[in-house]
Amino acid sequence: MTGMLLKLAFAGIRTRLLASVLTVTIAAAAAATIVLGLEVRSSGVDPWERTFAAANGAHVLAYVPTRADANLIAGLPGVSDRGEPTPLLNATMTTPQRSEPIQVAAWTTGTTQVNRPVPTAGSAPGPGGIVFERSLADALGLRIGAHVSVSTPEGSAELRVRGIAISSAQARYPRSNPGLAWVTDAVLKHIEPDRGHWRWMQAVRLDDPAAAAPFAARAAARLRAAAVADSGVSLETWQQQRDSALLDVQPTQLVLTTFAILLLAVAFFVVAILVSARASQQRRVIGLLKAAGLTPRQVGAVFALESLALGLLATALGFALGAPLAPRLAAPSAETLLGSPTIAMNRWHILIASCVVLPVLLASALMSSRRSARFTVVEAIHTGDASPARSLLARAAIRPFLPMPLALGLKDLLARGRRALLLAGAITLTGAVVVIALSLKATLGAQPATEVSDVPDELPLLVYTLDAVLLVITVTTLVAVALLSVRERIRDYGIFKAIGLTPAQITSTLVGAHAALALVATLVSIPIGIVLYLGLYAAASGNTTGAVIAPWPWLALIPIGTLVLVVAAVGLPARLATRIRTAEALRFE
Amino acid sequence: MTAVLEARSLAKTYETGGAKVLGLRGVDLSIERGEFVAIMGPSGSGKSTLLNLLAGLDRPTAGEVWLDGVRIDELSEAGLARLRRRKLGFVFQFFNLVPTLSAIENVELPLLLVGRTRRQARTSAAELMRDLGIPDKHDAAPAELSGGQQQRIALARALANKPAIVLADEPTGNLDSTTARGVLRLLRRARDRGQTLLLVTHDASVASTADRVITLRDGLVADETALRAARQVTPLLELEAPS
Repeated sequence: MTGMLLKLAFAGIRTRLLASVLTVTIAAAAAATIVLGLEVRSSGVDPWERTFAAANGAHVLAYVPTRADANLIAGLPGVSDRGEPTPLLNATMTTPQRSEPIQVAAWTTGTTQVNRPVPTAGSAPGPGGIVFERSLADALGLRIGAHVSVSTPEGSAELRVRGIAISSAQARYPRSNPGLAWVTDAVLKHIEPDRGHWRWMQAVRLDDPAAAAPFAARAAARLRAAAVADSGVSLETWQQQRDSALLDVQPTQLVLTTFAILLLAVAFFVVAILVSARASQQRRVIGLLKAAGLTPRQVGAVFALESLALGLLATALGFALGAPLAPRLAAPSAETLLGSPTIAMNRWHILIASCVVLPVLLASALMSSRRSARFTVVEAIHTGDASPARSLLARAAIRPFLPMPLALGLKDLLARGRRALLLAGAITLTGAVVVIALSLKATLGAQPATEVSDVPDELPLLVYTLDAVLLVITVTTLVAVALLSVRERIRDYGIFKAIGLTPAQITSTLVGAHAALALVATLVSIPIGIVLYLGLYAAASGNTTGAVIAPWPWLALIPIGTLVLVVAAVGLPARLATRIRTAEALRFE
Repeated sequence: MTAVLEARSLAKTYETGGAKVLGLRGVDLSIERGEFVAIMGPSGSGKSTLLNLLAGLDRPTAGEVWLDGVRIDELSEAGLARLRRRKLGFVFQFFNLVPTLSAIENVELPLLLVGRTRRQARTSAAELMRDLGIPDKHDAAPAELSGGQQQRIALARALANKPAIVLADEPTGNLDSTTARGVLRLLRRARDRGQTLLLVTHDASVASTADRVITLRDGLVADETALRAARQVTPLLELEAPS
């Protein structure tokens, strides 16, 4: 029997190629987004570990007010290796173009030094020179040989950029702000002669790196016992340094997670529409299968197997697409690390994507096929039509202010209310992501040209790409639904023509109703999109200050654009259907 | 009397699987105003094809169809639709009600198409349904009605605009004998009001109620029998729906 069910399922896939392709496309997009979200962090882990090794990274890094405090930490039990305490101070860097606050540290190298900067270009600072952390140099456009002025209220120095370096403890600028630069001890003394204004950084390596957190807690307690004020102390474990370094992928992960949820919701809607339409078309076949002895559960299993097969193919495709793309999205983090992000291809990630995508498809297919499988054999064999919608909304559709073709179309659309609702849901979510994309563009555009953005360059591109994917899927769904509606209604069109509706009136029943539905859905999508965008912005940056909602003329383009798309997507099949001769249309089943 | 509907050398060829099938092979026919004509013939003789061509539901391969002085086989689809809504009513064997509209909405549809207001359309449709003995089925879905009730609704829809010509394709073919008699009675009432009636049937007893019976065989008129003289009729203009 299983063989027979599989055969029926695969026959369904082959005979409904457009629906199958649509299902695979949207499920693959959802799977790829999930895989991307998971892989994007993994792909940055290798470069960070390389950087940590090259820097002889600190298992615990302590920022303390005095050199004595630094020595106190270095002397705690469990320390296997300690660097010299490094002085650092806050200063202002000035170039002809801008002034930025920076943190200046003493350049401490040597093979035994813990948490040493790793040069990537140029040389050590030397007398009269300065070395900039790479992401800071890139963001401010500082090249080797450039001249900058570094000052504190107590002193200043004109310095030449001698080199570029990275540090496993320093996250990407401007997320980590102020940025970091290194100078010699002598320059440091010149800029800030008063050592009382210096702070100290003590890097230690531990016998047991896994015990970094308890060590940091002990160190904090020891400093408190020594009456060092908590406000002047900061302790970072190597895990925290790594998380901070990889934090740049957080907005990307946030966007990917949000889009994965939206894509899964749209996938649920689309699969539900396609499966219910197929179940409705095949009601007679279902009746015959039941007459032959298939139980409703087995009938549902045919649709479930079909969705499962398509879902497995989609997940594999999504993994193949998502995993190689992840390193590109992790590129911003790599600015502070050695080497490029790598393709992780973690097999667990395909499993996780499958565990999310497949149940969504299965639930959608089972829910949609359940109703058809419940009909009695006689009811099912006696192929049924949709019945008039009796909801308040449907009654309101035949109101005097609506033109007759539109009223007719709405009555028909609402007679298949569940499908209309699912389609409206897909359009609403797509509209909402367009609002997100437009608002992101508006936010980026509102930033002053001189201000360095902490939004990775790849993020807007990612949002626009996912928007485009969702848009293509929704428009394709719209075409598929239009084709289904037209196919189901060819006989009705024959009746309309026999009664006296012109082809143009018949076309406008379908186009008008779908356009009205899309208009309502896009109007609803605008506030939803705004709320989603503000939520995303707040989740990424802690508050909504600086978030700019897309201007109203841009937002007005969403319903207008949707109407144009609907007319194009629905108009052509409707027009073609009205060309069928009336007598032929009346015979159509 | 004048011909309200005329077919001249009407021919229709179908292509099925690459082979040509002759549906009609040159039919000449003239229906007088107020006449009740039955078309009979065995299956495949071309009865329904002829009716479809006369109603402008299909295009002939050759020949002409004239309706009230207008050559309709040359009209555009939109032109045909506008003509049908005012001058023709069509009753089908399988009722062909719009499944997503209620019974009364099906009857209202042709009235709205000719420009009646919704209130006027609702009133006229309700009156028609009362006349046809189905006053309590306004909000019923077609699927909730019996075959006889559906055919009455279809009849009400066909008669709603008081068309000059009512064409019926096996209107009783799918009904039990009692219901069929009721539907025929309603059709005859339309004829009695002066409407021209053209009916396709297999049933000789149904055909016997007509003024004239035309028998088709192999796409040609094989026989034509006048059973009684057509009644004196009301002028056509009085029957047409208000524009």
